[in-house]
Amino acid sequence: MSATTEPLLAARDLVKAHGRTDALRGASAELHAGEVLAVTGPSGSGKSTLLHCMAGILRPDGGSVHYEGLRLDTCTEDRLSALRRTDFGVVFQFGQLIPELTLTDNVALPLMLAGTSRREARARAGEWLGRFGVGDRADARPGELSGGQAQRGALARALVTGPRVVFADEPTGALDSLAGEQVMTELVSAARASGAAVLLVTHDARVAAYADREIRLADGRAAVTEGAV
Amino acid sequence: MTDDVKLAWLFTRGSERREWWRFGLTAVGAFCAAGFAAAAAALASLRGGVYRIPYAEGLFDRPGERAGVVLALLLLLIPTLGFLGQCARIGAVHRDRRMAGLRLAGASPLRVRRIAALETGLACLAGAVPAALVVGAAVLGVGAPPALLWAAVASAVLLVPVAGALVSVVALRRVVASPLGGVRRERRTAGRGTALTGVAVVGGAILLGILGVAYAGRLGLDAPLVLFVAFLLVGLGAVWVSGSFARLTGRRLAGRAENPAVLIAAERLRDDPWAAARTHAAVLLLTVVATGYTGVRQALMDDLLAAGSYPPESLDFYVTGLDLTAAAVGIGLLITLAAVAVGAAEGIAARRQGLAGQVAAGVPRRVLSRALLLETALPLAPAVALAAVGGLAIGTFYATAVGGGLTLPWTALPVPFAVYGTCLLAAATAMPLLRRTVRPTELRHD
Amino acid sequence: MSTRHILLGLLSSGPSHGYDLKRRHDERFPQARPLAYGQVYTTLQRLVRDALAEVEGTDSDGGPERTVYRATEDGERELARWAGETAPPAPFVANEIFAKVVVAILSGGDPAAYLLRQRDAHMARMRELTKVKTTPGADLATVLSADYALSHLDADLRWMTTTADRLSTLTAEVTAR
Repeated sequence: MSATTEPLLAARDLVKAHGRTDALRGASAELHAGEVLAVTGPSGSGKSTLLHCMAGILRPDGGSVHYEGLRLDTCTEDRLSALRRTDFGVVFQFGQLIPELTLTDNVALPLMLAGTSRREARARAGEWLGRFGVGDRADARPGELSGGQAQRGALARALVTGPRVVFADEPTGALDSLAGEQVMTELVSAARASGAAVLLVTHDARVAAYADREIRLADGRAAVTEGAV
Repeated sequence: MTDDVKLAWLFTRGSERREWWRFGLTAVGAFCAAGFAAAAAALASLRGGVYRIPYAEGLFDRPGERAGVVLALLLLLIPTLGFLGQCARIGAVHRDRRMAGLRLAGASPLRVRRIAALETGLACLAGAVPAALVVGAAVLGVGAPPALLWAAVASAVLLVPVAGALVSVVALRRVVASPLGGVRRERRTAGRGTALTGVAVVGGAILLGILGVAYAGRLGLDAPLVLFVAFLLVGLGAVWVSGSFARLTGRRLAGRAENPAVLIAAERLRDDPWAAARTHAAVLLLTVVATGYTGVRQALMDDLLAAGSYPPESLDFYVTGLDLTAAAVGIGLLITLAAVAVGAAEGIAARRQGLAGQVAAGVPRRVLSRALLLETALPLAPAVALAAVGGLAIGTFYATAVGGGLTLPWTALPVPFAVYGTCLLAAATAMPLLRRTVRPTELRHD
Repeated sequence: MSTRHILLGLLSSGPSHGYDLKRRHDERFPQARPLAYGQVYTTLQRLVRDALAEVEGTDSDGGPERTVYRATEDGERELARWAGETAPPAPFVANEIFAKVVVAILSGGDPAAYLLRQRDAHMARMRELTKVKTTPGADLATVLSADYALSHLDADLRWMTTTADRLSTLTAEVTAR
């Protein structure tokens, strides 16, 4: 990962307010192809807001987000939705699985949205669930899964479309430490195997240690960038 | 007890906007319910005899027509109660959490029940009292009424808050039992058996209605009351039928859906078929009544105009009666549509965190709103069709009886379609909420 | 850390010579500081002196001649006693980072900048250890010893974060005395 190559995703001088509180005050970050970047900082430092802006989920009030020559901050909502289906994958602390759908259907959903037939989508979803060790829970619904199993399902859903960037917001936040370590190991190794870059938001140094590089946010600004390996 | 009243008031005042919606809409529902009930009670208390009541071309003067009006008012109570039931669900997640919090803080189950009952009871009272004033004013406009009438009105007005309080206690039974609240939804198992029960209840109710009309006089029963019970049973049966349809449709479609929106809607229906069924009962009842009414009106009007044997005043009397019935059906439709819209809006609000997650993950809002509409549309279609057949049967039966020879009241045909269409429109009015409430800020973990 | 008990423990699985003991130690305890051969030799001599181990004989095996040791019965008893005994939880608080912060305050240095640099160094080491343990095919001993170090580094980091937030109070307290 040499610093001379163009970044895959770049945020510059982002400004974003939630009501009267400023979440971001000129934060910048660059994500290169295939790297794992951790965004850390105390709670309220704007980590999640930075991730939401870079994933095109939130529109920043100021600054720009570039993804491969495309300006995400001025893009249409439809284009952004399409991008999130094809090029991006997201993993949150919880809640990205639809409670009424089986695990397989949850993972198959992004493929079906892209026009893949149900049978084909379910077959590929099954493969990914097997890869993450939850193939035997394929027909269970999220409410019947342990936290670790549900997060593995979420990883499968994020990676099934072969995204170029995976956005992970406190992916281990609801897990005990062993399950958290396992989910992180699987996320990073699967992303490396498929060449996806990962933007990882966490307050936990042990989770951040899975990254190649770290950006620390304080008061809505990227205070320190460190640690290219 | 005063402490509980204070607590209930504190909770109501400190609660967020969504709960104010519940309070406000519950009061509106209670206003309608108490109004209909009080008016019905006032009219029913005039036993026998002919009175001069200067409303609606003298429609209230004679006992025969009064019975019809009482029935119409009682029938209006059914969609109103359905609407009240929907209102109780607005912000229910928050209320449940608060009640569970009270239990954790050491309140006894009895106390929590009392506070919950007081909250709802107060909202209902806030609606019922103005309704009593309106009815009272209308009665005084006629003249000095007997004491029995006042007693009837007062009991009808008091009954609404009491019923509301009881319903909220029943709704909270699972939350109250455990301080951790009703976090896990129990899976209710219902299969073909309940569907058959539903059909049986509907059939029995219709039979009861026919028998009631034919023999009520001989048995000394009030025909309106028997018919009201019959329609209430039809409504209950309709919940069953609609719920079973929802479950069946959900199961069938979930297995083979190719479209993501259909898949999501089908799995939701399979998971909780009764959520939709509660509102649908009122819709189905309304479809039966509206279709039947349209058929009867056509036949009656043809008869009135063609025969020429009625003097103009008497014609006015009948037309006013029909128009009033039409107005009642229209009010019923409005209330039902409001319930459908509230139900759809609450469905979105309660799931907004999950929906926000889907939007963030790239599921287009289009797909989600289509899924939400399908949740209403899928189970409603067969149920409305069934109800339309029932209504048409009534209309045809009446028209044939009046006209001699089989007559199909063709004007009734578009009615079920209109009901179905307006219901979908009502559900669609909740869709802007998807854009407004389903935002990434919901994803922030605190 | 008691090197003599660890060597006794390795001997309890069968007689062995000094070089073999060093190799098995480094293998069994990855990420630990590797044993120096000289240290192995002097420790073995002391074990013999205390009658916890004895010389079994010599073994040449084609190469240079090596002394083979084995544990005595006393040695086995001592080993069992030691293994069952709890380790004293942090009897003395030896915190080099804290000492450096206090010294920086006393000498008018910049403790905040120091803490940031220390944090970066800790993070870099944590990333390194995480790489080691997530390398495909890493055995459980490697994972567990890396986890042990990671937990301690993480604890240091948390301590540094709370200390950095309270530096002004600490400075007032240190300079007042």
